[in-house]
Amino acid sequence: MSSLATPLPRPALVSRRRLRLSAAWLGAGIVAGFAATAVLAPLVAPYHPTAYVAAPLLRPTGAYLLGTNDVGQDILSELIYGARVSLTVALLGAGLSLALALLVGVSAATVGGWFDALLMRVVDVFMAVPHLPLMIVLAAFLGPGLNSVILVVVLVMWAGPARVIRAQVLTLRERAHVKSARLLGGSHFYLMRRHLLPAVTPVAAAAFVSLAGRAVMMEAGLAFLGLGDPTLKSWGGVLRAALNFDGIYLTPYWLWWALPAGACISLLVVGFTLWGTALERYGNARVDRLQTRA
Amino acid sequence: MRWQRTGPPRWLAGRCAAFVLTLFAVITLNFALPRMMPGDPITALQDPESSLYVSDQASRAALSHYYGLDQSLIVQYGRYLRGLATGDLGWSIRLNAPVSLLIQHRILWTVLLIFPAMLAASLVSMVAGLHAGWHRGSPLDRGLIVLFAGIRTLPAFFLGVLALLLFSVRLGWFPLAGAQTPFAHYRSPWGALADLLHHWALPALVLTIEMLGGQFLLMRNSVISVLGDDFMLVAKAKGLSDRSLKYRHALRNALLPFVTVLSIQLGFAVTGSIFVEAVFAYPGMGTLAFQAVSARDYPVLQGVFLVFTVSVLTANLIADLAYARLDPRVRTR
Amino acid sequence: METHESTDCKRGPERPSTDGAVAHRSLLAVRELSVRYRLPNDLMLPALRGVTFELGRGDTLGVIGESGSGKTTLALALLGLVPTAEVEGVVEFGGTPLPLRDDRAMNRFRWSQIALVAQASGTGFDPVQRVGDQLIEPLQERRGLRRDAARERALRAWDEVGLPAQRFGHYPHQLSGGEKRRAMLAMALAGAPALLILDEPTSGLDSFTRVAILDLLRRLHAEHDLAMLVISHNPDDVRQLAQRALVLYAGRAVEVGEAHDVIESPRHPYTWGLVNAYPTMTRSKDLWGIRGEAPDPMCPPSGCAFAPRCTQTIDRCQAEIPALMPQLDRLVACHLGGLRLLLEARRLSKTFRDGPGPPVQAVQDASLHLGEGEVVAVVGQTGSGKTTLARMIVGLLEPDRGDVQLQGQPLHSLRGEARRAARRLLQFIFQDPYEALSPRLTALELVREPLDIQRIGNRAERDETARAALAAARLPTTREFLAKRVHELSGGQLQRIAIARALVVRPKVIVADEPTSMLDPSEQARVLRLLKDLQNDHGTALLLVSHDLPLVRKVADRVIVMEHGRIVEAGPSEQVVSEPRHPYTRRLLVAAAGARSQALRANGRAAPETVEAEAADDRLPAWKPPGSGREIQAGAAAEE
Repeated sequence: MSSLATPLPRPALVSRRRLRLSAAWLGAGIVAGFAATAVLAPLVAPYHPTAYVAAPLLRPTGAYLLGTNDVGQDILSELIYGARVSLTVALLGAGLSLALALLVGVSAATVGGWFDALLMRVVDVFMAVPHLPLMIVLAAFLGPGLNSVILVVVLVMWAGPARVIRAQVLTLRERAHVKSARLLGGSHFYLMRRHLLPAVTPVAAAAFVSLAGRAVMMEAGLAFLGLGDPTLKSWGGVLRAALNFDGIYLTPYWLWWALPAGACISLLVVGFTLWGTALERYGNARVDRLQTRA
Repeated sequence: MRWQRTGPPRWLAGRCAAFVLTLFAVITLNFALPRMMPGDPITALQDPESSLYVSDQASRAALSHYYGLDQSLIVQYGRYLRGLATGDLGWSIRLNAPVSLLIQHRILWTVLLIFPAMLAASLVSMVAGLHAGWHRGSPLDRGLIVLFAGIRTLPAFFLGVLALLLFSVRLGWFPLAGAQTPFAHYRSPWGALADLLHHWALPALVLTIEMLGGQFLLMRNSVISVLGDDFMLVAKAKGLSDRSLKYRHALRNALLPFVTVLSIQLGFAVTGSIFVEAVFAYPGMGTLAFQAVSARDYPVLQGVFLVFTVSVLTANLIADLAYARLDPRVRTR
Repeated sequence: METHESTDCKRGPERPSTDGAVAHRSLLAVRELSVRYRLPNDLMLPALRGVTFELGRGDTLGVIGESGSGKTTLALALLGLVPTAEVEGVVEFGGTPLPLRDDRAMNRFRWSQIALVAQASGTGFDPVQRVGDQLIEPLQERRGLRRDAARERALRAWDEVGLPAQRFGHYPHQLSGGEKRRAMLAMALAGAPALLILDEPTSGLDSFTRVAILDLLRRLHAEHDLAMLVISHNPDDVRQLAQRALVLYAGRAVEVGEAHDVIESPRHPYTWGLVNAYPTMTRSKDLWGIRGEAPDPMCPPSGCAFAPRCTQTIDRCQAEIPALMPQLDRLVACHLGGLRLLLEARRLSKTFRDGPGPPVQAVQDASLHLGEGEVVAVVGQTGSGKTTLARMIVGLLEPDRGDVQLQGQPLHSLRGEARRAARRLLQFIFQDPYEALSPRLTALELVREPLDIQRIGNRAERDETARAALAAARLPTTREFLAKRVHELSGGQLQRIAIARALVVRPKVIVADEPTSMLDPSEQARVLRLLKDLQNDHGTALLLVSHDLPLVRKVADRVIVMEHGRIVEAGPSEQVVSEPRHPYTRRLLVAAAGARSQALRANGRAAPETVEAEAADDRLPAWKPPGSGREIQAGAAAEE
């Protein structure tokens, strides 16, 4: 009885929908802003991030808006180039882990049997193991470099979405319209193209955006722990450098050195979260609608 | 008869099997990692040309022995397993000491952070989640969501930095780092305890806040899904007071999924504790790992990884067992 | 139901009331109750629209409707359990208005006055608490009883619904579906309510459990002074449990009356369709759903919500919402006053005197009527007068006495244009298609001919209509086929052409005289099925003349049996087949069964039909409300 499930407390407020929509646009806008900064970094940044442009530990001035660090590099330029690292890891980390998740989830659900069982055990292992210790060990042995960071990020992120996608495909396969297409002689490829992928796409899109947000966090964390690429300027690395500077807390340097780096990380994650939540809601609503029709 | 006890249900046996399997996979991964990595970091340790060369004779010998580099892989694996069984986790390059001993010294500090933080976060999120879910869509609910979702976008280390700046640097309420005042002499054990608590409070608070976000959303969703259940409507049709509905029916049912996911939260707590310890230089396992990273002290990293992982896996298993005790649908099957 | 007389006595001394005799008997008075849900996108979804009814103390009312008709919303709204919805209207309980919009104030009425037995008893109990504790809970909290007293009271209710005491301490998942339903009932009864709302009391139960639950409910109703509101999509539940019935469609009451009458002889077209769509054990007829789809609740039709699916719509139906108006013994919301009487034959008699022998009294005083969308079969052996009757009805024969009215107009006195219009509305299908179809015309011309005669549309339109009619009759519309003539076609094809020919002018009534008798058995079934299909889709009424009772019962709503020119028995087809009253009807059934078994035995097979025919006699309903006996439907009877 569907009406039995009517929620008990309070009705929704009138402007809710519009608020959600604008939150989604705000999130996408933040991400787009960082993306533009990253692409146009050489044009936007006043200096090269690794160039020693001035005396160390300068306070913010007109020429160095966020001052300089302990070796005389422009902090603002570091942050602008840092967007490149964050977004590269976000894009590749989320893209590759989603690709892996799709591969594992869809094949496990379609092949089934022991193959499915085996893959799901592997997924279980990756889900149960605490992520950061695993990342640290992996990153340490893989050695420094952006490739290792991305690989580590992919390895800890793929399992969750793989399980979600597998479940999605499994329920889809049981749906009447997919069954009927199969009974009509639709090939595996046809089913995949016409029924499974279109249905999985909204879920995957939402997953991609929230994975990207997590990837940003992870990259920053690894860089903060000293496991990032030391040749690249990354927000986590800037924060690490700032905190490693003895007496940072006793001077006002943290105000333009540590704080903006952390704020950049948080702001980008906020962008991805707002965007991803909206996509997720859209995907859920679509699934609900499809289910009530069926 | 189906309503009589027939011993532990089958899925619990399945859970135990999965635990053993995962444990085995993790132990094997830990063995394989240093041996299959490109550039072979372990050989590099013995190589005088390498930047990783271990100059100390005794350490080098201990390492060589620990990794058993002169043996075949199978023999190495056998020795590795035997060593684990006796608590041998290897030899720290940097500190020139057995890893197991190092971890022994540090683990208590980490436990001291993680468990109170988990407990506090669970209690707070239980209360907040119940009320937010009950008054879904209200200003309270929306305010809490924005607050906790906002916290979740702050990386743990950044949250730690912010707290440090505000409470220790600006307000001067708490010390900047460490777990106790170095070289201090206490007149009474109470003084020592006060000093410990003084150092402990801020990192524990940061870890609690870090964990609150996820747990709150979890509890809120759990409550909302229970509110949509038919039995809530039936209970309401009995004319029960909101208090009865909320605490006797909604809370008890919402807690079940909450408990199962608490064990997953332990994984997040571990992650959070590593960052928080690093920021506060709190002498737990996180700081041990943090320092080992800079020194490329592989045996320590591996030891910390293993201890954390086995603890979390064991906690998962315990949570499943607890769930079976809590849910009559499983208990009385 | 038999219990009502006794509950009448139990109602106790009537309290003095200022409102007169009606008000103090009234327990629940619902006036213009409307409920609209607010959707997440802020649109309003109307679920109930101005429902009004009354329920006396100890009375039972059944609410029938499809899913989405608003029946569950009604149940929840009476308890104030639709907090996200806008509720309008007044509900009086025991003479005072219920505070429907005040959640906390409603708590005084819930369970202790109005108890709900939710449909979802499977998930209606808190899964982590013992069922017994959930019964005790309201007794402690609402009644303020101590735990042991509450437990004792709960156990009494537990016992009353027939549950063993050791089940009391079990968890919900340990009980079976039927036990949970009983436990839910016990929980409701523990509060000693004056009104019990039963939402789909038997859905999801197997038939044994269902009978047991229905028995239990009837017993409880008899033993307690309990008013019941039975909400169900199953008309049989309502017939078995309720005195009165209210039919909901798209949130509105469309028919209200005595439960038995509403279900046995529905007056509103929707009720009629619903009752016919629902399987009952006694029904020998095949199932035919209501054509079309239920209206989209977000944009309901501007007029009558049922108009798009109705077969008898007039312009007003699209424009204006019909009000619930008294029609004879009940209330019906229909601009046409309910199902229209399409055709009425009154006291038709015909004697043939032209032969050499004595005059033959072919038909004597035969009366029948045919409602909108109905299928009526006239059954009898050769010489019983059924064909004569059919021919008089369509106007092929002039009756000696009596008259035929088509939509209220006397058919035989019509002349000129009026006669031609009436002829369009009434079509005849002959027994022998070879005889009825001109050998000179092609298949297309045969089907187009009625359009040519009636001068409907231009040539191209007529061709198109004729082709569509052929396709509807499952005939090919290739050029070769359209050019075929009678001698090139099989009997089945010809009869289907005859059907297409009859349907092409969209008649309201088709009279078919033994339409399948010239066909072999497999063609028989197909043609009969086609006829019924088309009848269902177009809403045409069908008068089927046949000698084959077992065959026509599959499609007929009512059966009229003729012998020697007189109507000897008439009634709903399942009743005539399963409980034949007249000896001649029984002979007909036995003869048909015998003929079939012989035919089958000749083919070297067993005779399952015989078994089935005998078994049909055992399929009496386990319990029958008074008045469900065998009185013949008004108007269908042979008159004295």
